[in-house]
Amino acid sequence: MALENKLRLAAYALFFLAVFAAPVFSDEFLLNRLSKYLVYGMLAIAIALTWGYAGVLNLGQGLFFGLGAYMLAMSLKLSSPTSLQQGADQPVPDFMLWNAQPGSPTELCCITPGSFIWLPFQSQWTGLVLGVVLPVLIAGLLGLLVFRKRIAGVFVSIITLALALLVRLVVGDAQPVTNGFNGLTDLGWLTIGGLEFDPYSHATYYLCAATLTFTLIGTRLLVETRAGLILQAARDDQTRARYLGFDVPLYQTFFFLIAAGISGLAGMLYVVVAEFASPTFMDLSFSIAMVIWAAVGGRNSLLGACLGAILISAIETSVSETAALIEAWKAVIGLIFVLVVLFLPRGLAGAAHDLIKRFRHSQPHIAPSSREQRNEVH
Amino acid sequence: MLNILFIGLSLSSILLLIALGLAITYGAMGVINMAHGEMVMVGAYVAVLSGIWLDANLLVAIPLAFVVTALLGLAIERVVVRKLYGRMLDTLLATWGVALLIQQAVRLEFGLSFFGVHVEGLGPGLQHVTTPAFLQGTFRLAGVELNAYRTFIILVTAVLATATWWLVYRTAAGMQVRAIIRNPNMAAASGIDVKRVNSMTFAFGSGLAGIAGVLISGIRTVFPDMGPPLVVDGFMVVVTGGVGSLYGTLLSSALLGEINALVAIGTNDILARAVMFAVVILVILIKPNGLFSFKER
Repeated sequence: MALENKLRLAAYALFFLAVFAAPVFSDEFLLNRLSKYLVYGMLAIAIALTWGYAGVLNLGQGLFFGLGAYMLAMSLKLSSPTSLQQGADQPVPDFMLWNAQPGSPTELCCITPGSFIWLPFQSQWTGLVLGVVLPVLIAGLLGLLVFRKRIAGVFVSIITLALALLVRLVVGDAQPVTNGFNGLTDLGWLTIGGLEFDPYSHATYYLCAATLTFTLIGTRLLVETRAGLILQAARDDQTRARYLGFDVPLYQTFFFLIAAGISGLAGMLYVVVAEFASPTFMDLSFSIAMVIWAAVGGRNSLLGACLGAILISAIETSVSETAALIEAWKAVIGLIFVLVVLFLPRGLAGAAHDLIKRFRHSQPHIAPSSREQRNEVH
Repeated sequence: MLNILFIGLSLSSILLLIALGLAITYGAMGVINMAHGEMVMVGAYVAVLSGIWLDANLLVAIPLAFVVTALLGLAIERVVVRKLYGRMLDTLLATWGVALLIQQAVRLEFGLSFFGVHVEGLGPGLQHVTTPAFLQGTFRLAGVELNAYRTFIILVTAVLATATWWLVYRTAAGMQVRAIIRNPNMAAASGIDVKRVNSMTFAFGSGLAGIAGVLISGIRTVFPDMGPPLVVDGFMVVVTGGVGSLYGTLLSSALLGEINALVAIGTNDILARAVMFAVVILVILIKPNGLFSFKER
């Protein structure tokens, strides 16, 4: 066990070293792209936390990502130069003028019905705070409702999926207020204490890298706390954990909302890096993509899931730039995914784990234990 | 008003055909088949291709689509799903991979586009299927103007649903399926060849989805990505109705289809879908096992 912990520590150290050393070897274009991968890494960590540790497969994680993204994007939209040049004293998003009835006042209060909800976003802090608080609040409420009623397994997945799609449809339909399916584009830069986060700058990359580092270390420490252990006990046998006197729904809700907070944070970072927010963030395919990352990397390993996200999205962008493979690549992803589920049920991290185990116990009489290990995987 | 209810009924019919397959496979085998929407898509493409290559209309495409998608379903069960029984969430992920593969196969014309070979009817573009002349237009029944094609959808569904009911509740094979739905281990212990029945059930469900695809092709655009939203709708129906209950599936598809039609008239299609999702969430929150579930033993 001691060796395993050392190896894990080494893996984390190596990963952080690679993340912080990357800017030395990259130009600003690559740096921007790497920042996106790090954001995806955070999403995979959130999935590993709920799916791998709590046993709850959230098929609507994109909802929390999307909410985080929209909250910050609304603030950044109001701080963009174009919003200031719309002829009003206060900034007004350009699309609102295109959608407004002729003759309506060029003020956020009443330019179109519902536009008043933009008023608080004149402060950038509103977006920054709500980007995490709103996902956490919604996840907390939803978690309490769902887990208290002992709704489990696929039913939770269906509820989260339905909620994400519902919000996606409403956001898309509210064209005058949200710019509908076009999403929010032409955003200002995030500015904190005089420091501007140019999406192609080192500052932005380090912002993502630092957030990812804190997330990874934070969640790692969290799953090792008593609460984390109880959660894992509940994942393995919920009834027993309940009979032992633990308030299982409370722990599940807690981890559910932590994952939502991480996703909201990731959504905000994505807006800073990519300079847009779109309803497609709340699509089924994006939420499933996150699950794929975590599954390929290893759902029971926070670092593994994170690496899975970075690895797959890196391969995806580089291969999809080869013109002939743009469409074929999706088929390759599909194939990889089928193969991983069939042959590496615990992902790359699980495979690495087994490899280390086999390396240690190369004596033949211990071999059956690794087979047992494989059989108990579900 | 009657007209709206009628449109709702045709929506319900398509939902039912998609959901029946999901309900049987999910209820009996604990398999979440995310590639089910691709079965609908393949069915729709069978209608497109049989129009172009065989110069045949929708009526010919229906049995053809059933055979094609049933065989495809059989292949998926044999190659992927069979290895994943008892790992429900993994079936969801693996079949999503299969879905991606099928989508891209259609988009890339089975890879032939790389060799400069073009299969007419396939590819990334949008396709339209014209309904046969005798199904176009409307007719009057009891003072209500009815769309002929929508009536056709309802009739086909009624026939297929009855056939399914007969298969499941009146034949020996159906009894085996019901036994597996209740308790797979006990069924196996009683000498039922669970693997074989599972394959057949999976193929049958896929075949129904293929027919749903043909029917959809007459009212909607056909394209490679049409599957995922359909499988989502199908799952909403299954879960709302209560897993393993065919009556539940029937009633919840009627409920959701009608809600969709009614809200769509008052507002628009997008909000109608949103309201449908809201109803599903409420149903699960109030009755976690669906509206018509039987007691687990």
